[in-house]
Amino acid sequence: MATSTTAVPLEEAAPRRSEGQWAIVFRRFRRHRLAMFCVGLLAVLLLLSAAAPLIAPYERDEPNLTGRFLTPMGRDADDGLHILGTDHLGRDYATRLLYASRVSLGTAFTATLIASTIGILLGMLAGYFGGWVDTIISRFLEIVATFPTLLLLLILSSILVQNINAVPLPAGGASFLAFLFAVSEREARIIFAVILVLAFFGWTGTARLMRGMVLSVRENVYIESARALGASNARILFRHVFPNALPPMIVDFTLGVNGTLVAESALSFLGFGIQDPTPTWGNMLDYAQSYMFQYPWMPLIPAMPILIASIAINYIGDGLRDALDPRQRG
Amino acid sequence: MAGYLARRFMQMFLVALVAAICAYGMLYLVPGGPIDQLLAERQNAGPNRITEADIRRVRERFELDIYLPFRFTRWLIGWPAGPLPGGIGANWQIGCAVPGQVRLRYPDGRVEVREEGCEVPVTMADLEGRKVSRGIVFGDFGTSQVMLRGRPVADLIMTRLPYTLYLMGASILLSILIAVPIGVYSAVRQYSRFDYVMTTLAFIGASLPSFVFGIFAILLFSVLAKNAGLPYLPPGDAVGVRDYTIPLIGTVQAGSFLDRFLRFLMPCGVLTFINIAGWSRFVRGSMLEVLSLDYVRTARAKGVAERVVILKHALRNSLIPFVTLLAGILVALFSGALITETVFNWPGIGRLFIDALGRNDYNVVMALLIINVVLLLIGILITDILYTVVDPRIRLT
Repeated sequence: MATSTTAVPLEEAAPRRSEGQWAIVFRRFRRHRLAMFCVGLLAVLLLLSAAAPLIAPYERDEPNLTGRFLTPMGRDADDGLHILGTDHLGRDYATRLLYASRVSLGTAFTATLIASTIGILLGMLAGYFGGWVDTIISRFLEIVATFPTLLLLLILSSILVQNINAVPLPAGGASFLAFLFAVSEREARIIFAVILVLAFFGWTGTARLMRGMVLSVRENVYIESARALGASNARILFRHVFPNALPPMIVDFTLGVNGTLVAESALSFLGFGIQDPTPTWGNMLDYAQSYMFQYPWMPLIPAMPILIASIAINYIGDGLRDALDPRQRG
Repeated sequence: MAGYLARRFMQMFLVALVAAICAYGMLYLVPGGPIDQLLAERQNAGPNRITEADIRRVRERFELDIYLPFRFTRWLIGWPAGPLPGGIGANWQIGCAVPGQVRLRYPDGRVEVREEGCEVPVTMADLEGRKVSRGIVFGDFGTSQVMLRGRPVADLIMTRLPYTLYLMGASILLSILIAVPIGVYSAVRQYSRFDYVMTTLAFIGASLPSFVFGIFAILLFSVLAKNAGLPYLPPGDAVGVRDYTIPLIGTVQAGSFLDRFLRFLMPCGVLTFINIAGWSRFVRGSMLEVLSLDYVRTARAKGVAERVVILKHALRNSLIPFVTLLAGILVALFSGALITETVFNWPGIGRLFIDALGRNDYNVVMALLIINVVLLLIGILITDILYTVVDPRIRLT
């Protein structure tokens, strides 16, 4: 793959040792200071959320009715330090925030991964085979595009969250998700329901983009020569079409993660997403809003990670877009 | 053109129908619903205990005793409202008032009661005399099931619509008035300091969720300003309940114009900011494209004043893609901003949807959803037609 898609013009590449495509991309990306900084920020967030059960100072759901609404750095009756204070039930805010990062970021990444996979596969089929396959997929896309997404998202989510036993999730899957998000299996089912809903509405943009990319990639001479050499459709699709259509998909995935993160926190904020004992940034903000008049620092604590993650992911996407654009040199 | 329109309307009708079937099916196929609260009260002992007869009556009022396909057609076109002409089908069973119960006795002595079959069926003849909506296709949205039990959904919508119309109308108008100049200026002075600042602001505005903006606005302009003794803005609702005093402004009477205006400022400001973030980028991009075209260079070469080149030659053409946003605006004008209205407790349509969904008032949810889909489809159609008006090269076929 590296040799077939090298973006460096020959006369430029000849003097130095030829550089792989991804090395070039990485070198270009590193020059985008802000994006590199954002990668660091996001890495810290991911690391913290991965280590949540290890570094969390308290039990996640342990209420303390004598120590409610403690200010950051406040101490409760047992002289326990709460770095970010406590919430309306006296639960340690820092602990819940750590677990919430795991749930929010994990949900966003998983849902986007599912949505992108579906979108890329369908887009590839539609773009590569054309004909009736394309007609069916494109018509379906058009119909889904005219749906009021947020309304249906809310309806579907409220239905699934109310009836989590209707969510098709095998026991093994539940325990895996429970492990992934550091929650109980019951909570994992709700999270899975929300992931399904988000993925269901998230794939259309990716499919449209992938279809367009494949339509242009498949006209290339190397596809023709691969076919002349007797390569099967599957081989052409996955060895030649897919890698060459991939760069915009990476940017699309990054921005998709932000979209899903925002959508999930909006759902949870409105009360139709992941429900209370499971912390997410969105539902923590929902509760904080009710108490913000007496305790104005409360909404800041869950809002900050949303801000940081959202802006960081977008800047990374921006940096990737610049780095992956073959029209730019250097 | 007539053939094109006919085909488009056919397609639109089909899409709306598919959306209606999907949403209606989703809402009613799963357990839980408008009657849930009543069932929960049934557990209570005492004289107010809800009896089986009560439940049966309520099920009848909400049409829950009619099978789903017929419930759907009654909701859609108001049919069937009784036996067919000539009394045909008077005894066809189309629902079940009291489900049958089967007692299963297991060998180990356990007894399980299962719902199976039908004890008291509902026939077409039973439908005669029942209240039925004329059908959503004919503009009757039915009655509210929970929020204003028994009142027409249309009433509920009409009480909320003015709030949404003036909030969305004002913020959209303001956004256009501000976003277009910003976009044009950013394009004309590309890579200037102004452009960079606007790019960054637009970037933040587009990537952040609107409720974070809303909460920050409340925090800044209501909570912190009030705590600091500065003039502050009331944080929520469209109309106050009691009078309040604001430093420098004085006492504000609840329900006065000033009260309404102060409460309107924050949601409008947040919506405007978010819209500007997106639209100013849009105008900038399309303006940059037009400014690099040959005819703009020609105009400049002929010595046309730069002002005229930008405002008359470039701007008018660069606003053509703006037409695509109209479809979204039409929908937004009616359906409001779900999240912003919720954050500011604004009694608009978006808020109505959230409330109705939270309280399982399915008729309201369905009405709003259908209106939304239809408006969106009409918006897309208008956009396509407008395209041919602003750009004669495009033909509808």
